[in-house]
Amino acid sequence: MSRATPDAIDAEAESAGAGLPRPWQLASALLLLAGALALACTLNNYYVFVLANVALLAITGIGLNLLIGLSGQISFGHVGFYAIGAYAVAILNTRAGFGFWTAWPLAAAICALLGALLAIPALRVKGPYLAMVTIAFGFIVEHATVEMSSLTGGQNGIMGIAGPSFGALLKGERAVAVVALAALALALVVYALIARGNWGAAMRAVRDSEIAAEAIGLNPLTVKTMAFVVSAAFAGLAGGLYAPLSDFVTPSSFGFIQSILFVLVVMIGGAGTLFGPLVGALVVGVLPELLARFEDMRLLIFGVLLLLVLWSAPNGVAGLLARIVELVSRRPSVRLPAPGETLPTPEFAQRARRALKAEALCMHFGGVRAVSELSLPVAPAAITSLIGPNGAGKSTVINMLSGFYLPSAGRIFLDGVPLNGSSAYATARAGIARTYQTSQLFGSLGVVDNVALAAPRGRLGGLLSDGHMRSPRTRRRAARLLRWCGFAGSLQQTASGLAHVDRRRVEIARALATDPDVLLLDEPAAGLSLDDKDALALLLRRIADTGIGVVLVEHDMALVMDISNHVVVIDAGVYLASGSPAEVQNNAEVRRAYLGAPGGAAVLGGAAPRRIAEEAAEALGVSGLTTGYGAEPVLHGVDLALRHGHTAALLGANGAGKTTLMRSMIGLHRPLQGSVRFFGNEISARPTEYIVGLGLVLVPEGRQVFPELSVLDNIRLGAFLKREGRDARMAEMLARFPRLRERLHQRAGLLSGGEQQMLAIARALMGLPRVLMLDEPSLGLAPQVIEDLFQVLRRLRDEGMTLVVVDQMAALALALADDAYICESGCIVAHGASRQIAADPALANAYLGAH
Amino acid sequence: MFSKNKINRLIVCIALSCFAIPGARAAEAIKIGLVTALSGQSALAGEAITRGLTVAIDEINASGGLLGGRKIELVRRDDEANPTKGVTAARELIYKEKVAVLFGGLDTPVSVAIVRLANQEKVPFMGPWAAGTAITQNGASPNFAFRVSAVDELVDKGMLAYAQKTFKASKPGMILVNNAWGESNEKGLSAALAAKGIQSAGSEKFEANDVDVVPQLTRLKLAGADVLLLVGNVGPAAQVVKSLDRMGWKVPVVSHWGPAGGRFSELAGPSAKRVHFVQTYSFFGKQSAVGERVVRELKAKYPDIKGVDDITPAVGVANAYDAMHLAALAISKAGSLDGDAVRQGFYRIDRYEGLIKTYVKPFSPEVHDALSENDYVWAYFNDNRILPVAGGN
Amino acid sequence: MLMLSALISGIGLGSMYGLMALGFHVTYAVSGTVNFAQGSSMMLGAVLTYTFVQTLGWPVVPAIALALVICAAYGLLVEALAVRPFVRRGSDAWLMATVAMGIVLDNLVMFAFGKEPRSLHSPLAHTPLEIGGLGLGVYPLQLVIPLVGLCLAAGLHLLSRRTRWGTAMLAVVQNREAARLMGIPAQRVVAGAFALSAVLAGIAGALIAPLVNVHADMGTVFGLKAFAVAILGGISSAWGVLFAGLLFGLAEALIAATLGSGYTQIISFSLVIVALALRPDGLFGRAQVRKV
Repeated sequence: MSRATPDAIDAEAESAGAGLPRPWQLASALLLLAGALALACTLNNYYVFVLANVALLAITGIGLNLLIGLSGQISFGHVGFYAIGAYAVAILNTRAGFGFWTAWPLAAAICALLGALLAIPALRVKGPYLAMVTIAFGFIVEHATVEMSSLTGGQNGIMGIAGPSFGALLKGERAVAVVALAALALALVVYALIARGNWGAAMRAVRDSEIAAEAIGLNPLTVKTMAFVVSAAFAGLAGGLYAPLSDFVTPSSFGFIQSILFVLVVMIGGAGTLFGPLVGALVVGVLPELLARFEDMRLLIFGVLLLLVLWSAPNGVAGLLARIVELVSRRPSVRLPAPGETLPTPEFAQRARRALKAEALCMHFGGVRAVSELSLPVAPAAITSLIGPNGAGKSTVINMLSGFYLPSAGRIFLDGVPLNGSSAYATARAGIARTYQTSQLFGSLGVVDNVALAAPRGRLGGLLSDGHMRSPRTRRRAARLLRWCGFAGSLQQTASGLAHVDRRRVEIARALATDPDVLLLDEPAAGLSLDDKDALALLLRRIADTGIGVVLVEHDMALVMDISNHVVVIDAGVYLASGSPAEVQNNAEVRRAYLGAPGGAAVLGGAAPRRIAEEAAEALGVSGLTTGYGAEPVLHGVDLALRHGHTAALLGANGAGKTTLMRSMIGLHRPLQGSVRFFGNEISARPTEYIVGLGLVLVPEGRQVFPELSVLDNIRLGAFLKREGRDARMAEMLARFPRLRERLHQRAGLLSGGEQQMLAIARALMGLPRVLMLDEPSLGLAPQVIEDLFQVLRRLRDEGMTLVVVDQMAALALALADDAYICESGCIVAHGASRQIAADPALANAYLGAH
Repeated sequence: MFSKNKINRLIVCIALSCFAIPGARAAEAIKIGLVTALSGQSALAGEAITRGLTVAIDEINASGGLLGGRKIELVRRDDEANPTKGVTAARELIYKEKVAVLFGGLDTPVSVAIVRLANQEKVPFMGPWAAGTAITQNGASPNFAFRVSAVDELVDKGMLAYAQKTFKASKPGMILVNNAWGESNEKGLSAALAAKGIQSAGSEKFEANDVDVVPQLTRLKLAGADVLLLVGNVGPAAQVVKSLDRMGWKVPVVSHWGPAGGRFSELAGPSAKRVHFVQTYSFFGKQSAVGERVVRELKAKYPDIKGVDDITPAVGVANAYDAMHLAALAISKAGSLDGDAVRQGFYRIDRYEGLIKTYVKPFSPEVHDALSENDYVWAYFNDNRILPVAGGN
Repeated sequence: MLMLSALISGIGLGSMYGLMALGFHVTYAVSGTVNFAQGSSMMLGAVLTYTFVQTLGWPVVPAIALALVICAAYGLLVEALAVRPFVRRGSDAWLMATVAMGIVLDNLVMFAFGKEPRSLHSPLAHTPLEIGGLGLGVYPLQLVIPLVGLCLAAGLHLLSRRTRWGTAMLAVVQNREAARLMGIPAQRVVAGAFALSAVLAGIAGALIAPLVNVHADMGTVFGLKAFAVAILGGISSAWGVLFAGLLFGLAEALIAATLGSGYTQIISFSLVIVALALRPDGLFGRAQVRKV
């Protein structure tokens, strides 16, 4: 492992990033093109024609790839642009007497313009709605060419279109083929330049996370419109060549199926890859010709082969090849800074940072007041923390400050300049950066690209220029910023594979790259280990020391109290208190809002010891369980054993892996390794419905009732697999939860949080659980309701139900449980009888963040 | 259905031909190309042309072939009713398969596009179906496009004359399918009307897959149409008749040959017989010796043909049959497969006793259409039989 | 008179679109995927009904019943072959795969059924309706179709509320993971949704068969318009989709009646674009709350 000196970091940062073709790729592409050119000059006219058609498909495909592969939009209407390009050349040539070399660029320009026009309605919609808008566009163009017959020649179209000509040797379809191949080469180059430059990165960024793109000052609408415009122009270029190639244009040549074929070119080839559309165009252009002699069975065979191709390479042939190449030539070089090494200091602009000030902010969602009359001063070079119980409206405040929500009332000033009504990207450009509760990285971009893209604050420069993204200075700065934020991994790897803590670091580095006045952080410590939290605290202080005003929303009180200069407490969207950490900690109102009435655990009957059979059979056993999302395991060899009739508490910080453990046990996550036993049955490879049928039932986090169904239907669905005696159990549930009887025919979504939790438990009990698992049942509930809830759980426990409880209310959970497990960073770090655990310092460490 | 072997061989063939520079191959068989719709809405037309050609080819091959015993082989390609596909297929047939004569299909735009190529590459084109005037009157000299089929311009004049004579039409209304064929006839009919100084009640278009044509027809009715001039393939034409039925409007209908393209009385219901349409040939009624022979051969070759009402569309079969024989005669006269020689060969055909009629000097440099208005027969559907209208010739 | 017949015909056509669009809705709601070649399922329903009734001479009820069973089987096949393998691997290629399935089915049917357009005879589409000696310009079937459509929609609504599998389907729609935690086999529900979707299209096909020409290619345009309708209605709202179907059918008939057929598609598809630009979640779809 080489030492990560500043120079080494800089060198690594400057080395080629994603989107640039490798030398062997370029060479083979050139070779391919040269070969094609040679063929175009020698083959007979049929092959030349097919070759030219493949080139046209590829040009359109490359443009569409920009749209589908980079910006993540879809279009089933590009045949419209293709047709407009063809008709434009035909009309300009035959009616206006323009030569090919004048008509062709004009046609592309017209298409680009129409692309921008279509983007106006198209970019207001998403997914299938976008597909429909583009389909409609294609249809309108097709029918318009029929109806505007004075211009377009109607159904019979226009014949005799002059093409390019290079003397006697190279004319007709040969000349068009040569021009098409040249245009294809140019299209490839343009795509490569866009893909590696600012715009390409911005398009990927918008696709990966639109909200994160806005947070670094990118206007998604501009970026996506550009993708539309370029792809429309490419389709127009190809269409403009189609006209002289076939020597005629008629409406029936531009049917809907052609649009499908264009999309197919991209999908077969592999969306977002440089050479994918070439592969796709070869398949789509040549396959039907190979099948020509099957006469009337051609389409049938084409359909079958298409299915086969899609099955064997669902993410495209080029994607498949790239994967293979990647596997063969893997570079596992990750340099870590040696311990104690001095990290390079990033170049922060030396300037006075401006203060942010919010006055009387209000936010209403429908009839609900999420935030009322909140004023918040954010001083530069200081940490201002915003705290409050779950659902207090903290994230809403962050969203208003960062321009994502338009406040219903109130004003926001940055150094006296009003920011009200600014969109998110404009707010970001003004100098307010932010991070998200769940990190929003641009997963397909490299780590350093994530940060470098943020540097220009949304000013992307010329379409083909490298702009800031590739400038050594920007990349060097980005790399230093990353190291300064504590990111030690490879700078080239794509962000999607990062571990949780690294995602946080990269996100903060990215926000800092915009050189902001104010940095808004939404729960940055969630899911971090204690060490990482310490590092984070240090980092936040250092950020504030550079002069940036930091706004912190955080649940980890220890962290907040440790580093904040100023703390503001809100509850239910209303200002409660503010002051220094010490002042806030001693405020009686704050304590009540946060901790509920003192002595909550007493309602459970205190510490009265329970008689339980020590030698009961194992109900639920886990050994060596390793589970992951993608590359990074979340659980590392977890062991757990729960006896029949026992109650276990599973404790640990946010993101420690408790929820993942429960989801793995019940089959919602396929474990990578290890076994899960349920009353002696191995269930780790079983589908959820089978496991539920055995009697392992989970009440998921956030209740997850079916909001549009009635309470009655919700309860009934709980008995989906256990229909026998359903009605008797229904009656029993309604007796157990009398509140539900009153609401029996209401939609479950209308219930209060507590009622929904009761419903979720009743629903789970209908499934006749032998072991009942509850994930954060008290989350977001009022203290009184939490007490009721734990009474219900105690009753279940006392009736002999085997329970597994994950809950933030550690004291309550421990009072309820017989055994307890402490989970930290995907490992069980301690377990034992709950009273022992309650006294174990590991608990305070892992769970409460106490120092 | 296709052996793996065949597919492999095919792939190898194509792969090889990509590398080798294809030179002239001395093929034993004479290849005749057909580019038509073999799938989709017009697939039936392609099938009918195929059958007419196949029967004629079998006859020619059985009697010893052409040019000193060379057999004829039919090479078909699907154009999916799309001119781009059609032209691509035509290129393949011309450059790769080196066909001697290229036959076209149902769709006028496809044929018009192919004819441009045929003229450029000097390969004779024969149209057994598409009636667009521009196919043979394409302005090229020399002109390689020939046709044994109706010609829109002539049919349109004939339709109007028939409507005037039989139904005393004074204000005909046009109801035309919205495709190239309909558009071509709108021009032809308008010209015919103008030539006779007759005011039309209007011209209405409808889509080939429209369920309901009542609105368009109602407008014609309100405009005072006393006869309808209908252009549309069998399915769309049936939709028009059904809509007339629904409206309860008993107006006479004079139609282009669309209804002959399928089981019109099944599709259009009881009112089908109200439609009088033009025909080049009918297998119903007393047949000539040639007619009886062709019906016999068709029944033997295609088991699904049990009676003459299964020979649909009759015009496609009959036109293709005669066109193939005429093309064979032209090749014989030319004595070679050279495109220009075959073109000249067409002019040198003296007499051919065909299915539709006995052709005497059918082609000349000025006349590239073997059929004229004198060869059109007026007919109507009675149940599943196409019967000539008495005195309607 | 012209307007009345256009209205009735538009409503009939619109309920066809609505039924097929409901098929898009069902699978989209449950799985976020659709059979892009829904028109082929409709064609299958029409062709099979024709074959059983006209060619084999079966009584109508068992004929349609068997046709629908085969449609359901086709729906299952689409899900298993063209959707699940791709969704499982996180690929969007199901879009293309369902199109490919449609191409295969259309061409298989073309060989099995023949290339000739046929017409299904129905007593409901024989004698046009008259009121007081005045022709309405419609067949009884055109009035029956909207009724059947409405009954089907209502039946579907009841089925989903009153039966075990119906509520299970709704549960999967609302929260797939929670539904699995109830022991509901979500994958089978998704497959069921595709079967149901094909059946709905099949019913549309069987209903409309007597009014149109039956052939292998009949579904393509219908399927696309139905997709437009589904999107217009806001694909996540069942009643919205049905209503959008009526709206679209009416708009088509009225445009054809006033401006002529050539402009029908231009104007109706332009209206779709305008409607979606103004209401990005469809006319009756619920706006997505922007989550940050």
